[in-house]
Amino acid sequence: MNKCRRHRENLLAFLSGELSEAEKEKLSCHLETCARCGREISEIRETLRIADSLNPELEKGLAVVDWEAQAEKIVAAVWKEERRPRPAPNRERSWILAPRLRPILAGLLAGIMIGGLAMFMIFRESISPKKEGEKLFASGEFLDRVDVEIARRETVAYLDKSQYVLLELTQPSSEGGTFRLSEAAARETKELLSKKKLLNPQLERVRMAKAKAICDQIELLFYELGQINEDLTPAQRQEIQRMIEEKNLLLKIKLLRKELQESEV
Amino acid sequence: MERTNVAEHENIRNLLEKAKEGDRPAFKAIVTLYQQKVFALAYSILRNREDAMDLVQETFLRLYQKLDAYEREKNFQAWLLQIAKNLCIDYYRKNYSKRREMESPKGLEDLNLAADDGPNNPVSSDLRQIFSRCLEKLGDRQRLIFIMKHYNGLQYQEIAQVLNISVGTVKSLHFKAVRNLRTSLSPQLRLES
Repeated sequence: MNKCRRHRENLLAFLSGELSEAEKEKLSCHLETCARCGREISEIRETLRIADSLNPELEKGLAVVDWEAQAEKIVAAVWKEERRPRPAPNRERSWILAPRLRPILAGLLAGIMIGGLAMFMIFRESISPKKEGEKLFASGEFLDRVDVEIARRETVAYLDKSQYVLLELTQPSSEGGTFRLSEAAARETKELLSKKKLLNPQLERVRMAKAKAICDQIELLFYELGQINEDLTPAQRQEIQRMIEEKNLLLKIKLLRKELQESEV
Repeated sequence: MERTNVAEHENIRNLLEKAKEGDRPAFKAIVTLYQQKVFALAYSILRNREDAMDLVQETFLRLYQKLDAYEREKNFQAWLLQIAKNLCIDYYRKNYSKRREMESPKGLEDLNLAADDGPNNPVSSDLRQIFSRCLEKLGDRQRLIFIMKHYNGLQYQEIAQVLNISVGTVKSLHFKAVRNLRTSLSPQLRLES
């Protein structure tokens, strides 16, 4: 069966004379003994006979065409197409590409490439993305400026809040009895005392001596205020007011604030 | 169609050499020798006479441009038909894929509009027309191989070169084509017998 299948695909080559002598002989022997393949080849012959019957028609159809004229037409078209002026390659080269300048150009090009490579090697570190966990590098000068700016802003905020509390203390009182700071001012006073502790090292580090001195005076005043009970007697209040006036604290705060705001980094 | 022999091959090589140097009569001789074969192949793919004629011209123009690329040991006919086939397929893809769906297929018998039942033709007109329609119904590769084999007179080796497939595949597809044609024709054959 498999043998038949193998032979069958050769039947057409057998009929068109495309088998080698050995293959032809082998197939002829098989056809003598195999009725099935014998039937197959006669069916193929019949089909090809019908196919061949179209040949005369095809030839007649082809004969209608004047192939001599057609060949001339084709050749003329090819010649016309091939002789058509095409955009010529630009032979006029720029003087810079002249052969005598080529060694110089080659040297220049090599120099640019080496220079580019060197630049790449030098700046590779700075242009390569930071790896995770890698520390950010910043100059000492930059960090100092950051410290000054933080201290300046913190001090301005400290002064603002202190001014608010001091203003409340210096307000003239219509009543002659005890004085009590508003809740907000009392809370602010406590916060300012603790904030001053954090501000001290900052001011010392950036050498803002004048600001530190004024802040110290304010701190002292708030410290005194903290020692006294919540209600201030008129005498105690007068004492506080005197301290504020004597040290010109409100004026100093105003001037220092102005100075710090003007010296913004 | 007669097969090319060694002398013909040598003759073609000489003509090609001359054509390469711009010898117009030599190139015309090549066109005269092969234009009908190219036409038959183009027509079998496109099945439109005018388009097939245009493709013949295009094929020879391309041949002239590629003359330098031709290698002497190559089979010239197969090489030329390969150029033609590639151009036809490109043309078909660009212009036919949608159009063909709208049109009824034309058979080879349409080539000869004046065809009638010749007294010497042993096969009836009906059978020839049916055969032509059956041929159209074959798959593209089977039809192309059948036409190249029977109407272009190409050998298996040449067809394999044109289609860029193995000789074994060509043989197998040819066998299937013949079988399919036989199956499609059998009702008519029974009627006629």
